[in-house]
Amino acid sequence: MSDQPLFSLRNRWFTASVGITVVLAVVSALAGLVILPLAQPDLKLSGIWDAICSAAGVPRASPDTIAQQPDGKLSNVVMTADTLSRGDSVSIGRGATLAQRCAICHGPQGVSDANSPNLAGQFAEVTYKELNDFKTGARVNAVMSPFALTMTDRDMRDLAAYYAYLPRVPSPHVDAKLVAPLIVTIGAPMRNIAPCGSCHGDIDTKPGSPWLGGQSAVYIKAQLQAFASGSRRNDISQQMRNIARNMTAEEIDQAARYYEAQP
Amino acid sequence: MTMHHDSASADVAARVERRWATLSIAIVGLLVGMAAFVGIHQATMPQGRVEISDPRTLHLSGEFVESNLGAEVLADGSVMVRAIGQQYSFTPQCIVVPEGTSITMRATSADVVHGLLIQGTNINTMLVPGYVSEAQIAFKGTGDHVMPCQEFCGIGHQGMWGKFKVVDRNVFNKMALSQRRLTCVD
Amino acid sequence: MLINKRLILAHFWLAFAAFGLALLLGAWQMFVRSPLNPWHFNPEFYYRSVTAHGSAMGYVFPTLIAMGFGYAISEAALARPLIGRRWAWAGFVLVAVGTVVAMLPVSMGLASVLYTFYPPMIGNPFYYIGVVLVVVGSWIWVALMSINLAAWKRDNPDKPVPLAMFANVAGSYLWGWTAVGAALELLFQIIPVALGWRTTIDAGLARVFFSWTLHAIVYFWLMPTYIAYYTIFPRAIGGRLYSDPMGRIAFILFLVVAMPIGVHHLFADPQVGAGFKFMHSVFTGLVALPTLLTVFTICASAEVASRLHGGRGLFGWVGALPWRNPIMLATALSLVMLGFGGAGGLINMSYQLNAPVHNTQWITGHFHLIFGGAIVIMYFAIAYDLWPHLTGRALDNVRLMRLQLWLWFVGMIVTTFPWHYVGILGMPRRMAYYDYANSALAAQALSVSLSAVGGLILLTSGILFLLVLIRGQRAPRQEAGAYQFAVAVHPPIRLPVALNGFGLWLALMIGLTVVNYGFPIAQLLALPATNVPAVYVGAPR
Repeated sequence: MSDQPLFSLRNRWFTASVGITVVLAVVSALAGLVILPLAQPDLKLSGIWDAICSAAGVPRASPDTIAQQPDGKLSNVVMTADTLSRGDSVSIGRGATLAQRCAICHGPQGVSDANSPNLAGQFAEVTYKELNDFKTGARVNAVMSPFALTMTDRDMRDLAAYYAYLPRVPSPHVDAKLVAPLIVTIGAPMRNIAPCGSCHGDIDTKPGSPWLGGQSAVYIKAQLQAFASGSRRNDISQQMRNIARNMTAEEIDQAARYYEAQP
Repeated sequence: MTMHHDSASADVAARVERRWATLSIAIVGLLVGMAAFVGIHQATMPQGRVEISDPRTLHLSGEFVESNLGAEVLADGSVMVRAIGQQYSFTPQCIVVPEGTSITMRATSADVVHGLLIQGTNINTMLVPGYVSEAQIAFKGTGDHVMPCQEFCGIGHQGMWGKFKVVDRNVFNKMALSQRRLTCVD
Repeated sequence: MLINKRLILAHFWLAFAAFGLALLLGAWQMFVRSPLNPWHFNPEFYYRSVTAHGSAMGYVFPTLIAMGFGYAISEAALARPLIGRRWAWAGFVLVAVGTVVAMLPVSMGLASVLYTFYPPMIGNPFYYIGVVLVVVGSWIWVALMSINLAAWKRDNPDKPVPLAMFANVAGSYLWGWTAVGAALELLFQIIPVALGWRTTIDAGLARVFFSWTLHAIVYFWLMPTYIAYYTIFPRAIGGRLYSDPMGRIAFILFLVVAMPIGVHHLFADPQVGAGFKFMHSVFTGLVALPTLLTVFTICASAEVASRLHGGRGLFGWVGALPWRNPIMLATALSLVMLGFGGAGGLINMSYQLNAPVHNTQWITGHFHLIFGGAIVIMYFAIAYDLWPHLTGRALDNVRLMRLQLWLWFVGMIVTTFPWHYVGILGMPRRMAYYDYANSALAAQALSVSLSAVGGLILLTSGILFLLVLIRGQRAPRQEAGAYQFAVAVHPPIRLPVALNGFGLWLALMIGLTVVNYGFPIAQLLALPATNVPAVYVGAPR
């Protein structure tokens, strides 16, 4: 018995175990790849080969619905983690030059004393996206749209790099002791509101979500209201509209004032 | 076979064990057979095909652009619902469908792996970026359900709760007169 | 005779240290997301804790137990010193270093991706590198188990391999092969992205690779428990093992069938074809078989022991069992939890029954019951049984041991039964916060609170366990004698070559892997279009 070969048809263990395994594999493959798919009429399979391929997981092209295009102007920026790589000093330098005309509203250090947004230290891909959206008309503003129309893609990247490079400056309303309102700390999950910080950088960063700290409360409130009413639509696939429309007016106020008071 | 000293009692033990093994195999066979039977008789089944998509460009063109999301009434009276999951909401945030109608739900993810669960039902699927999930569903009565994401999708995962409403067929048809793609987002 | 006691003890101590810390985190997690917690906190802390807890409990703790116990079995069952002692220490160091390397970024909040990784979310590369180091350290153990058995077989031709060592090596081969899936995912997909060499990743393919590991890893965790059932329990209660060959068949079935069934974790996924989901479902049914065989054999062994000591009657023999013996208690409690957990597993493996509970708290309740309950309670038993032989000191506070085991059992029931229930109610997994005031969730509040209380009971039991071991280190010296394994009622003189080696079973395991996983993986590899952008978690702002 000890010199009994293992991998031989004369070994009962070998034949039994391999036999049972093979039978099980074949039967389950037959059932899973052929019988079960064909037993489901709503799969609209065109024969056995189609049944086997689809059950095996061969991808098919998505059904040919009329090639859908977005209605109206929406953001056409592809936003991923590598949408904008870190600007090199040449890019930042060009951006500094371009930024001279932005200074009237956005301040020479990227810190505005009107209610235009502070741009200093803003994530580069955010600045880039908004400029893009102003240019394409996905976002409309009487002042910004004309500026953006004259910019090339390289200009927008340079400006974004430049502003990202500038240090963030806390607003005059900075208050380290301000207790964060509930809408900021836990959001309102059943109303589909995650904590703001899960995207906007204070807890974690989702590319394309602006840094809110030190931003003008008037500006933040206006944007949230615009998202809530749908008049601002350049948030890809409604990700901000989904949130803003479920916030109460008081919560919008609280969130805006809280972030203005952050560094 | 195995050789040991006391053959008689060893044989008894071997017979007993074999009987139990047979019983165990029968139990397992019964369970698997039930699963196959139920599968053939049209209980909920895994989606029949793999389809791919590009999460980067969902909003630019194709079936998951913003204006195409929601419920669409097809020519044969059935309903097609399209949705996407993203950090940290579903779009449409509130999905509405009619009861007593055959519904196909197609969804994908715009960024990371999400899940889609309609509470109170067995509608439960994963949304994997790069692939389209499809489920055939039907409701026998009206009702409101919450629709959480059931897979960790990032730090805001706990805020990802949508709504799923099943309304009367007539109410739905009336809505369909004024909206090309229906949602219950106010 | 155990020679390398310090080696074995080192593995156990590190395992239980990791376990203790992870248990603390687990109890915190249960509390903090329950209605009992009125305070609000940064949700990232919760996900950070879950990542640490899952990684420690899943990758560090059971691996070290298997390794330490494996070295003990090798020396005691084969009655010879371990070959490759220095390699064994190297493996231990790799596991220890890997744990630290992984836990550093996690504790800093740079890798809150959960222990299941789930790309395209990507955390700090050192988390993944740390996990790889742990796996590599364990692969050294796999090699050593194989080498030690081979050396013994050369010196003992034709002799039956002692059951404990046979099962041990089967478990090591199973682990060696099943870890390959996660290793492929980590080495070829995740780490290149985490290091910045690539920016896209196929999330569907990664999930398929991970599923390769994800199911069989629980059988790797289960091996020490089943080895204890077969080779410690009968001896500890003064009896014999009912059937040696049945034991071998059970372990062989695990080796062959535990691995190529992972797609049942992907039932709801869109990247795998329905046909393969069905095939994996069929083979998953098969893996219930060795457990059914085991339950019978172990109960029969208990009956043999009881009747040998005067037990009578159709069921009266149960009462005559040595219930004061901690090993008896642990095994019985383990089998009860195995029954419930196994039933839950049968539900999970059926596509239709799985649909309502997929990724709900039912799943979390299930694996805590079966792993944290049935499996880990036997890890305690193994420690209690081995400790006197490792430390040369008595471990005699049996009342405390029994209390600890009862608390673990009760705690596990109180924690996991309501947990299963809220899963049926549709409570989703892995959320840091739930608004129980909302009418949709209000029905879940009481059960979640009960589970949180269960978590505290478990924490108490864990502390008692560590106390027993620590006290054992200071007890008076007492020579424990040679470490013995259970003897079969009919000890085999000679075995068929198929029951005394692994060639055939490894071939079947690999063959089934090719059949069940080959096409799905090749298919996804051939699709470049499904590479999606990485999403970085914990990135610097």
